[in-house]
Order: sequence, then C-alpha cells, then structure tokens
Amino acid sequence: MKFTLGAAASVLAAVATLYSAPSIADVCDTPSKLGDLGKFEGETITIMGSMEGNDEQMLTNTVSCFEKATGAVVKYSGSRDFAALIVADLRSNNAPNIAIFPQPGLAGDMAKEGHLTPLGQESADWMAENYGAGPSWVALGTYADADGKEDFYGFAYKMDLKSLVWYSPEQFEDNGYEIPSTMEDLIALSDQMVEDGNTPWCIGVESGNATGWTATDWMEDLMLRTTSPENYDRWVSNDLPFNSPEVINAMEVYGQFSRNDDYVAGGASSVATTFFGDAPKGLFSSPASCMMHRQASFIPAFFPKKGEELDAGEADFFYFPPYESADLGNPVLGAGTLWTMTKDSPATRAFFEYMKEASAHEAWMSQGTFLTAHKGADLNAYATAALKKQGEILSNATTFRFDASDLMPGAIGAGAFWSEMTAFANGQDAKETADNIQSAWDAIK
Amino acid sequence: MHGACDVNKKSLGIDMTRTLKHVVLAFIVFIWVLPFFALVTTSLRSETASKTSGFWTAFTPTELGHRFGTHDKGDTEPFISMSGNIFERLNEGKDSFEIEGDVKSILFKGRVPDPDNPEKTKLIRQLIYAGEPMDVRGGEFVFQSSGDFTWTFAEATAAKPKNLDAFINQNPVFGPDAYIEVLFENKNVPNALISSFIVTIPATIIPITIAAFAAYAFAWMRFPGRDWLFVLVVSLMVVPTQLAFLPVLQGFSGIASWATSLNAWMTDCEATKTCQVASKSFASLWVTHTAFGLPLAIYLLRNYIVGLPKELLESARIDGASHLQIFTRLIIPLSVPALASFSIFQFLWVWNDLIVALYIGPADSTDLVFPIRLQKQLGTFKDQLHLLNASAVISIIVPLIVFLSMQRYFIRGLLAGSVKGG
Repeated sequence: MKFTLGAAASVLAAVATLYSAPSIADVCDTPSKLGDLGKFEGETITIMGSMEGNDEQMLTNTVSCFEKATGAVVKYSGSRDFAALIVADLRSNNAPNIAIFPQPGLAGDMAKEGHLTPLGQESADWMAENYGAGPSWVALGTYADADGKEDFYGFAYKMDLKSLVWYSPEQFEDNGYEIPSTMEDLIALSDQMVEDGNTPWCIGVESGNATGWTATDWMEDLMLRTTSPENYDRWVSNDLPFNSPEVINAMEVYGQFSRNDDYVAGGASSVATTFFGDAPKGLFSSPASCMMHRQASFIPAFFPKKGEELDAGEADFFYFPPYESADLGNPVLGAGTLWTMTKDSPATRAFFEYMKEASAHEAWMSQGTFLTAHKGADLNAYATAALKKQGEILSNATTFRFDASDLMPGAIGAGAFWSEMTAFANGQDAKETADNIQSAWDAIK
Repeated sequence: MHGACDVNKKSLGIDMTRTLKHVVLAFIVFIWVLPFFALVTTSLRSETASKTSGFWTAFTPTELGHRFGTHDKGDTEPFISMSGNIFERLNEGKDSFEIEGDVKSILFKGRVPDPDNPEKTKLIRQLIYAGEPMDVRGGEFVFQSSGDFTWTFAEATAAKPKNLDAFINQNPVFGPDAYIEVLFENKNVPNALISSFIVTIPATIIPITIAAFAAYAFAWMRFPGRDWLFVLVVSLMVVPTQLAFLPVLQGFSGIASWATSLNAWMTDCEATKTCQVASKSFASLWVTHTAFGLPLAIYLLRNYIVGLPKELLESARIDGASHLQIFTRLIIPLSVPALASFSIFQFLWVWNDLIVALYIGPADSTDLVFPIRLQKQLGTFKDQLHLLNASAVISIIVPLIVFLSMQRYFIRGLLAGSVKGG
C-alpha cells in the first residue's frame, strides 16, 4: 500500500512539473519602456469581460505587467454571459472597477443609465492623437448620459480586423487556384471551384445566444463593397432605413454566397446550425470540405492546431476584395473591445493610464491574436508575420469602418439583426428580413 | 390446487405482462443510460477520433481520414527513391492513441492536361488504392495497406514534402489522456470541484436544519395563524429564482457595504486595505440556496412529521419531555428517510445549479463552481469534446455517489408523507 501511494505521488509530481505554467516574465519585457504609474500596493482592481480561454490567458498575462509595476492586484472574471451579468451587477450596485464591452451599443445603454464614469477630455484628446484613425475610435467610445450630455467613456484596446478570407495554400496549390484581387475574380474562382467538384465556402453562424453575428459581418463587409461609406454611416444611424434598396441589395449579394447549395459546404441549410468556430475546420479536414472561409482576425484560435497552421504555412489569408466595377477603394471592416470605468478608484485610473502606454500594447501583441491602432507600438512586437500582414491591410485601407451591428442599438445590433439574419439563412426572403429589422428599429425609437 | 390448464393460462398471462414490463423498462433504462455511456466513451477517445466520428464507431475498426506528410520540412536532400511508413509518420511524437490498422486508400488531387480541351487543365480527384501507383510532384508514389510507401523519381530530386489524405481502417483505441489533461494540466477542474463542495454542503445542511425545526412547529405546536402561515410558506414555492436576482443582489450589496464599514470600524484593516467585504461570495450562495430551498423542504418534512404516530408524542409529553427533547429524541430519528430524501434533492439542485452561481456567486476564476467551469469549457473546448466530456463525467460522479449511497432512504422518503402511516 505504501509503495503504491508513493508511486502515485511521484507520478503526480512528474505530471505537475510537466505541465507547470510557462514563464510570463518575457511578456512584460517589451521594446517600449513602461512609464511611472504610481504605487498601489494591496489595492484590488476587478475587471469583467466576455473573453475566455486563450484571450483570457493573454489578458491575464498582460495585466500581470501592470501588477508588477504598481503592486496592485487585478482580478479578471470572464463569462460568455457577460452582457446579462454586467447589467445585473451595475443595476444592483455590485459594479466591478472595469467592464470590457465587446459591443458599444450596450456600453451606450449603460452610460445612459449613469453606470459609467467618464474618462475625461484629456483621454479623448490623447486617443484622437495617438491612435490610427483616432477621432473615429473616440467617437466609438463617446456616449450620452441621462441628460444627453456626451462624454468619452470607452477606451478601445484590442482590435479585430474582419475583412479577411482564410484558405489553405496547399489546397490552392494542389488545385491550381490563384488569390483573387477583385470581387469579380473571387466569384469567378468560386464558380471554378464548383465546376472542379470542390466546395468554395465554409460558413457557420451558430453562436449560442449570439447566433447570427457572423452573417451580420458578411452583410457589413458587402455593404462597404456595394455602396458608399457615407451610406454605411447613415445605415448605422438608421437615417438610411434597413429596408432601403442599398441594404437589401447587400443582403442579396450575401445570399448569393450563403444560400447557394453549391457554394457552401454541407449545403445552404447547414449555415444556421454550424458553430462559427467549427466552420473554418473544413479547410483542414481530411479531405478538405471547403476552400475558403471569410472571418475576422481572431479565427486562427479555432483552427485545429490553434493557429499553428499559420506559421507552418498550412493556412493563410487574403483581403476580402472589393468590386473592381464599384470604385469604392479598399474598405476595411473592424471592431474593438471597449474598456470602461464602472467604479472609480485611484488604481483604476492608473490602469487606464497603463493602457495608454505602448508597452501595454506590445505585451499583448507579443502573445498572439491582438491588433492595435496605437501608433507608438512597435510593429515588430507582433507575434507572427500574419499579424503584421493584417497590420498592413489595416494601413492600406482607404476606408475604415467599425462593425455596424456593434454600433447599432443593443436591441438591433445584438438582437433583431442577429436573429433575422439567422432567419435569412433559414430561407426567409431578403425583403421580409429587412422589413422585420426595420420594424424592430421603429419600435424602439 | 386448481385445474392445470387454468393455472397455465393464468401464469402465461402474468408472464406476458411481466415480459412486456421488462421490455418497456429496459427500453427506458437504455434511453437514460445512453447519453452517459456516450459521454464516458467519448472522454476516453482521442481528439481526432472524437471529432470525426460518432461514439458508436469507437468499438469496431472504423475508416477515418488522416493527413500525413511524406517527410519533414527540413529534409531537403535530393533523392531518387524514398521509402517510409504512413503509420510511423502519423504516430511520430505521439505517446498515446497511436493509429493502427490498414490503409485503404489515398485521396489524390491534382491538375492534369484536359484531353478534351488541350489549352486547359482539368482537376482530378480520385481514390487510389493500395498497390496502385500515382503521380506526386512528378514522382511515382506507391503505398501498401501496411502503411509502407515508396516515392521514386527518374533522377535525384529535392522534392518538397507532400501532405496526403489517407483513409485508414483504424483499430479501436482508448486512453485516459483527457482525464489527465483536465485534472492535472491546470487547476481549473480541481478548483471547481472544491468550490462546488464548499457551496453545496452548507447549502444542503442549512435549509434542512431550519426546515426540520419549522416542520415540527407546523406539525405539532399550536399557535394562532399556524395554518395560514403554512399556506403562505407553501405558496412561496412558486416564486421563480430568476425573478428575484436584482433585489437579492441589491440586498447583498447593502449588507456588504454595511459589513465593510463595520470591518473598518472594528479592525485595523485600513492599513492593509482589506476592509472590502465582497457582496458576491460563497455565503451569498448559501443564503440564496437556503431561502429558495426552504419552502419545499418545510412542506415535505411537515407532511412526513405530521404522519408520525400521535400516541408516541403524547406519551412523551406525559412523561414530561419538552418540545426540544421530543424534537431531538423522537422526531429526528424517526424522520431520517424524509431528511435523507430531501437532502438528496437539495444536493443535486445546488450541485447542478448554474444560474444562481453565475449571478450571485463569487466571480474569481479560482472560486467558480463546476457548472460554470463546464460552461466556460464549452467556449474554450467546444471543438475538444473529449476534454469537455471528461470534465462532465467528473462532475457527474459526485452526485452519482451521493444518490447511490442514499437511494434506499430516497425511495422510502418519496413515499413518505404521501401514504398516511407509511
């Protein structure tokens, strides 16, 4: 008995050493040096957000640099039900210090209820000056309070690039396909693939209670490619009604991709029920079930080898191209998470100062999926060549627009738009879909 | 004894209904056990197998696609002929779930000149079977069902490695890797187990203690308005937990800020900045689960206790026993089945509770209870069913042990209160 216990213990010890966490000291060792943030020994900052898994790990590693510099303790709790939990916490006076909103719509609602603390004009000016496309990031974080007075609340940190098409270079090589540089070429290539007996696209919009958001991204990217950026902005504010011809046209173009049985792996009927994170796996399955996948920059984390494919040359991406005939330049769609102060404290203020440091951005850049518009951050800090290439797409953009569903009111952007696009995937008519979203919007006006 | 014929008919009829009962019962058991069986099977399979084929294929040789590379990227030496083994390539660097079996075919893809249209090329996709030659990067590639392959060129060529899709009729293989990973790779699952016990044990004992006292009072003590009060308590059963989240949270937040100032006043916590009392904590979960568990607990126990023999209690009174003595010496020992059955109920509810813990429980990642941890794994491991299932099996085992060890009380307790004098 004694022997077995001892043996078991030694096995456990061996396993424990095998799996000991990797050192995170090097994450904080960034090209830019961290300025003085003050000392907050023993103070606790609580952060709530929706990031889980790999993102949560990277976030924890990054804030550990702040902890080391100031002595404060940062506690992060992430949940997929963030949107529901934060509302309950704010309304019941249980606010964390910082809430990370993935959608500006909800942040705006909370600002209106008076739960957010303004970050001050100084921060807004700093962001306008130091972020690429700064004024638009400031606008993204500016909301009205109960009296209608506008203030800067949301600090954008960690961005996503959406206009990307992922593919397997090996499959393209085997099949003799070339990277398309215009939308016309992309459609011709898709048709070629169908003719060859391949399936061009993997599309999945299932995402639990957020089902449909992938489809809204497609829609937005196609809006930017079929109509002017000004119309896009009017669409976001509903000055251009949802059921206007421009919007219905974009939806129908999306339908040409997603509702075409020949185009979609598993057939058009599988779009609504395929988990968005499972969809890209078709690129790598054996044999490959599709050739291309349009999705934001975060998606490699859902690849079978968690994104190692990129370094191994097994996966790559190209820019979702615009129509040559439309002459709308190179539009790019993106998004960012917004960090808001929900409970004021000196240490929390110091944390917002920390996010202005280039070092805070580089620390996360060095770990993986993270894009930033911070002009001071050293691009060489990006973990991979792929991320750097995404940075180039970002800088080559002639038009940059934020995810429209994130900018629309919560009831639309995180509600009717999602659910109606899912209904569209299930065969609902484009006109009817647009009408339903517009009447949902009319109802909250 | 009666006529033989009569008896046979009768027993045949009984046999028939009994067999039918058994068939129906077996069917119900099958339906209930199947998901658990699937859960356990998947948790013992390899990642690729659990991703690409259903659990029912785990026990027989199954044809699955695997991608292998002919050689490593770094090997750039020119060669005329190269040989290797598909299984060796696939199992390289693996110490478990090694792939064994027969290679059935390889999916060949490539462009060849189109015979109908000389200017164009045509894509060919076809299955090549063992022993048949195929053209890979200009060389001849032949493989055997044992996995051995040769790749021959006319002259020495530094061919780039080629990844090919092989269909392998694969032998079943099981291993505990998923369990080792979730239990030892990080502390999430062990922490969740501990947190769940911290929440569940007090949240079971507290309501049952209060309810036992209350049930005795409702059953055997006379005081004005007793029946109305009992009706009120019973009617509280219909209040849904979800409805009460905001007010309950507001209440805890008020208590917490009060406790924080008390802490600051009574102790020297300000020096160490530890005055803050959390409003979302294990204690808030105990209180909430107790509050929402009490109505049913009082109702069940009262109905049981009221059915105990009246003479017993009366003779105890005549002997001069106080209410407390009657309660501890008579009622508690006699009510064990009812107490046990309610504690199983309460234990299972609290153990499996997600929503109360999510809103009211502590949010630190080390303090999350098991259902929240599973939900988080659903996000992280949605594509890694084997890990998710291993955690789920671990979380199922605890209530399973509780239930099996207390089930004889449970069955008696279920009847308790429903049958007078039972």
